[in-house]
Order: sequence, then C-alpha cells, then structure tokens
Amino acid sequence: MSRETRGLLGWIDARFPLTKMWREHLSEYYAPKNFNFWYFFGSLALLVLVIQILSGIFLTMHYKPDADLAFASVEHIMRDVNWGWLIRYMHSTGASFFFIVVYLHMFRALMYGSFKNPRELLWVFGMLIYVALMAEAFMGYLLPWGNMSYWGAQVIINLFNTIPYVGEAISEWIRGDFVISDATLNRFFSLHVIAMPLALLALVVGHILALHEVGSNNPDGVEIKKNKNADGTPVDGVPFHPYYTVKDIFGAVVFLVIFSVVVFFIPDMYGYFLEHANFDPASALNTPEHIAPIWYFTPFYTVLRAIPDPFGGFVGMSLSIIVLFFLPWIDRNPVKSIRYRSFLFKFNLIVFAITFFILGYLGLNAVTPLYSQLALRFTELYFLFFVVLWAYSRTHGRVFWISSFVILLGAITLYDFFMNTSESPELIWQTWGIPAAYLVVTLLLPCVLMQLSQDKEVPERVTS
Amino acid sequence: MKSSVKLLAVITILTCGNYAWSAGTGADGVFEKIHVDLSDKTSLQRGAKYFVNYCLSCHPAKHSRYQRVADDLGISESLTKDNLIFTDQKFGDLMTVAMKREDATKWFLGIDPPDLSTHARAIGPQAVYEYMKSFYADDTRPFGVNNLHLPNTAMPHVLINLQGLQKAVFHEEVGKNGKEHPVFDRFEISQPGSLSEEEYERVVVDIVNFLAYLSEPAQLVRKKIGIGVLFFLAVLGVLTYFMKKNYWKDIH
Repeated sequence: MSRETRGLLGWIDARFPLTKMWREHLSEYYAPKNFNFWYFFGSLALLVLVIQILSGIFLTMHYKPDADLAFASVEHIMRDVNWGWLIRYMHSTGASFFFIVVYLHMFRALMYGSFKNPRELLWVFGMLIYVALMAEAFMGYLLPWGNMSYWGAQVIINLFNTIPYVGEAISEWIRGDFVISDATLNRFFSLHVIAMPLALLALVVGHILALHEVGSNNPDGVEIKKNKNADGTPVDGVPFHPYYTVKDIFGAVVFLVIFSVVVFFIPDMYGYFLEHANFDPASALNTPEHIAPIWYFTPFYTVLRAIPDPFGGFVGMSLSIIVLFFLPWIDRNPVKSIRYRSFLFKFNLIVFAITFFILGYLGLNAVTPLYSQLALRFTELYFLFFVVLWAYSRTHGRVFWISSFVILLGAITLYDFFMNTSESPELIWQTWGIPAAYLVVTLLLPCVLMQLSQDKEVPERVTS
Repeated sequence: MKSSVKLLAVITILTCGNYAWSAGTGADGVFEKIHVDLSDKTSLQRGAKYFVNYCLSCHPAKHSRYQRVADDLGISESLTKDNLIFTDQKFGDLMTVAMKREDATKWFLGIDPPDLSTHARAIGPQAVYEYMKSFYADDTRPFGVNNLHLPNTAMPHVLINLQGLQKAVFHEEVGKNGKEHPVFDRFEISQPGSLSEEEYERVVVDIVNFLAYLSEPAQLVRKKIGIGVLFFLAVLGVLTYFMKKNYWKDIH
C-alpha cells in the first residue's frame, strides 16, 4: 500500500498525507460495483452544497442584512448586479433541490437498509446534516425580507411560545426582540452565512469519514468486505476513482439539466420554490392571505397542525423528526435490502412514501374540516410506520399480531372518542378507515397469509 | 366509500395541483387567460409610456431604473428624458415617485399605493389584467368606481378617459345555502371614452406586458441563455455518458 512517491509529490507526501488521502478516499476506496439510480443522490447532495456555498458567497457581496435595505438589496441583485438574477435563482432553486436530493438520498437508505449495523453512526451523522439543513433553510428564508419571509418566520418562531413556562423567553431569545425585527434579520444572516455552513461542512466530513470507515452499502444489502481476493480487495468492489467519479459526473450533468430547466425557465416553480407573496416586502400590518411554509417543511407542518393542543402539536412535530434518528434501533431485521424483504415491508414503505407526500400536500393548503381529519389520519400513519417497521424486525406468533392490532387500533379509536375535536363528526368515522385498513393489512394479514411477512434468502454476493 | 373517493381526489390534486396566484376574487372566470408576450418590443414601449403617464404619479417602481428600462426596450436616452422622465430625475435614477408616502396614504383611504416593480409579480399578470378591466361605476365609493377583481379598491379608475365608464350588470342566483345572492353577469359601457373597446383592450395588454417585464427584467434574456446552457449540457451529457461506458466496459 505504501508505494513511494517522488519529486514534488514525494516532497509533499513526506509532509502531508496527500497521496494517502487520495488513495484512502478515492483511488483505493472500494465501492460496490452494483450501485443503481438511487446511489447518485449522495454525490448530488455534495454538488448542491457546493452550488449553495458558491452562489451564497456572491449573494453576500451584494446583500444587505438590514430591515430597511434587505428587500431592496435583493431586487438590486435581481436587476443591477451583472448576472445577479442567475446567482440568486441558483441559490433559491438550489435550496429546494437540496431537499429533493436529500429526501431521495434518505429514502434510498430506507429501501436498502443503509442505516443498519455497522452504519448506525453514518445514519445519525446524516440526520444531523438534515436537521442543520432545515435550520439553514429556515434562516435563509427570512433574508429576502419579503412578506412570506416575515410571516413564515413569525409562525415558526412562535411555535416555541407553546413550551410551558419558558416558551416566551425562548422565542424572545431567538428573535432578540419582542417581534421579528432588524435584530432577528441580522442574527439570522450571521447564522445563515457562517454558523450553519460551518456546522454543515463539519458534519458532511464526519458523514463521509464514517462512510469510508464502514464501506458503502448497496442495493443487495450484502457486505462486499466479506468477499476479498488475494490482494485483500473486495471482489464485488471497484475503486471509487475512476469508476464512480466518471459515473457521478454523468449523473451530475443529468442533474444540472433538470436544475437548469428550473433556474432558467420556471425559477419560481409556480410558487412552490419562490412563494409569490414574498415579492411584496415584509409588512407587520399586512398578513398574507394564506401562510404556508416552503414545500420541504410542509409534511412536518401538517403533523403540527393535526394535533389541536399547541404544545402537543409542537411535540408531535419534533417527534416526527426525532424518531428518524432512531431508525437503526427500530428496524432490527438483519435483512437490509428491500429486494429480500417481505411483501408487507414493501407495502409499508410505499405507504410511508405516499403518506409523506400527502402530509406535504396538506401542509401547503388551508385547513378545512376534511383536510384537518386527513392530516390527523396521515400523521397516525406516519408514526405507525415505525411501529410496524419495528414489528417486522423478526417473526412473531398470532398472539403478537392480533394483540398489537387491537392495542393500536384501540388507541386510535379512543383518541377519536375523547379527543378528536372535528367540527363535522361524520368525517371522523369516514377517515377512521384509513388507519384501520392500514393496520388490518400490516398486522392482521400476517396471521392469515404467513408468506406475505416472510423475508427472502439474501445471496452471498451482489447480483448485478 | 365516500372518504375513499375524497382521498382519491386529494391524491389527484396532489399530482397536478398548482397553487400559484390562487387568490379567489369576484372576477373568477370572467376573463380569459391572458398571454404575456415580452418579445413584442413595441407593446412594451407603449406600456412604458402608459405606465409613466398614468401609474407612476402614485405607484413607484423604485427597484427599477429608467436607464435599464430604456436599454431593455430599445429607447434612446434623449427620447427617455423627453418622454418618460417628467421630474428632474437623472437617466440612471430609480423610478421613484415625488409624492410623499404619507400624503399618498392619506389620499387613498389609508392605503399606500404598492410598488409596482415588485407587487406586479406578487399578484401576477392575470390579476393586473383583470384589475384594469373591471372598474365599474359605483356611486357609493369615494372615487365613483368600484372594482370587481378587488372589491372596494382604494384606487380611482385612472384610465376612465380612455375606457369610459362601464356599469356592472348582476343577476340573482340561489346559492348552496338557499339564499339569493348577486352574481356578476357582464359589463356595459355607459359613458364611452376616447378609445374603442378593442383599442382599450390593447392599452391594458400593453400595460400588463410592461409590468410583467418590469417585475422581472431578467425574463428578456434568461430563457435564451437557458437554451444555450441546456444545449451545452446535452453535449456534455453525451460525452460523459460514453466516458462512463468506456471506463465500465470491463466490469460485470
């Protein structure tokens, strides 16, 4: 492994582990040869991070973090700064694409069990990146000082008010004022351009170091390190460079095509990436007709709204994110990949993906009696996913399936009896069928059709 | 059964939903969807002329510069100074309004006329069009006009000399709650202005076009540049695809 380098490189290598790092992380980092479509999103997330940092540096040169000047300085960037509109659209589109890419990256981990032993810390690092990214996006969204920036931040920061005893003090401490003001804008700017990017970069380094320590998972969920040839390299692995660098470059170009279509042709994405109310300046006297968070927060926003008690909603929303940290200890099934998991596991995962979409859709829209009941039902489905996932970790007898069905559906029904405050009671029973049907399929079906909950044999080597 | 149908409906909306500029108004469905045409330079030039003559006395466009508008629309500096700048402002100045904001707020029922260089984008061109077309006579309002798109608007009908005065004809309809309520039927010109209906339509379309441009001047170039970028990426995509294929040819 320690082949000598000579010349200038040799001089450097004697003083800095340049060649060593290159080999460890690229030319001699063996990645499974069977990565598929879903494995593009890690490198794409890194690409978007670079786009955000570079475009952010140029935006910072022209942006003014001052409540009197911020809105006009963004318009100045859009009109008077050469290529300013392009830099700004890259940054605003990049924010949304960051979340698209990260959500797909996380879903990949769910499909192929990439968070399982020995990759638990890798997953926790990833979750920390995700939370830091949400904080980064939230603070960045205040900076244009548009009316939706202002009212969105107002709503989110006021969430802390619901915490008993210390809530008001916390939200005051976050704002630095009794209302959202210049002080808030200035500190959010500081956190957005320095604190969070530093944290993000450090976490990304940790994420990659953890990945390279344990090696990449793959669509078969087979550990390639278990099959090594005489030189000690994995038989089913290929060096990351050049094999995956050339592959990821192609992936990056395809990504940039989609990215450019948005940047150049639909930069506001019909109001989803740039909300139209944000083209009016922040005004404490003029509340937008409908305050919706930007799309990537809406699934969690729906969870918040689904629970009538304000503090309960805040706790529910926080739990919906915190629970993800514990995935490695919830899903303890030794079979990693969806390819060899049971039919019901696939069903559960697909329902979870649809649930996430529906929660996101509901969060974009104003509350109606029907929507608020649907929000409650899909919030229930969101959390039930993890319970069912835990149950699928091993095989169980009939007693387990039936009793867990009775307990869970009983709990939901009791909630409806005593705590469901819907204005139209008939909606409660109409939508009750959603969690009931879900539990019948996921918990009762295994009693009748055992094979539906049976995992398959995992091959010794990766398949293709 | 009912709930599953509703659920299906929700999923359908989810896939094709679009909540852009979705504020519901009394003018819903009255007007056709307009098509903004920024390639029509003469329309933009006429729109600029109407804008500085009829709008800019109260509505600022304070994020836009005269010079930028002139350059983008192909208007010379001397023409701009003679025809578009009425104050002692310079060619490179922002298109602000001399009127004090407190005065404006006082005159217009407590409402400060919004800045049109950004507000036009917040509400979208369709809303601008519908607003400009739906002023109608209403003696109960301070300026003698009301607006179907933005009921009880604080703005007078500034183009009344061009369009004339129209009256709104309503008919009664029974709503879901069993009560009658007035529903808009049509507009009728009661007092002709100096322009015919077609000529006035042209004026409104020119203003809408100009405001669509003014709210995002980059529109004039961004799609053209985008096509070039996509062409470059397509070529790069083909090259990188074959590079990848070549590197991977021995991996099975």
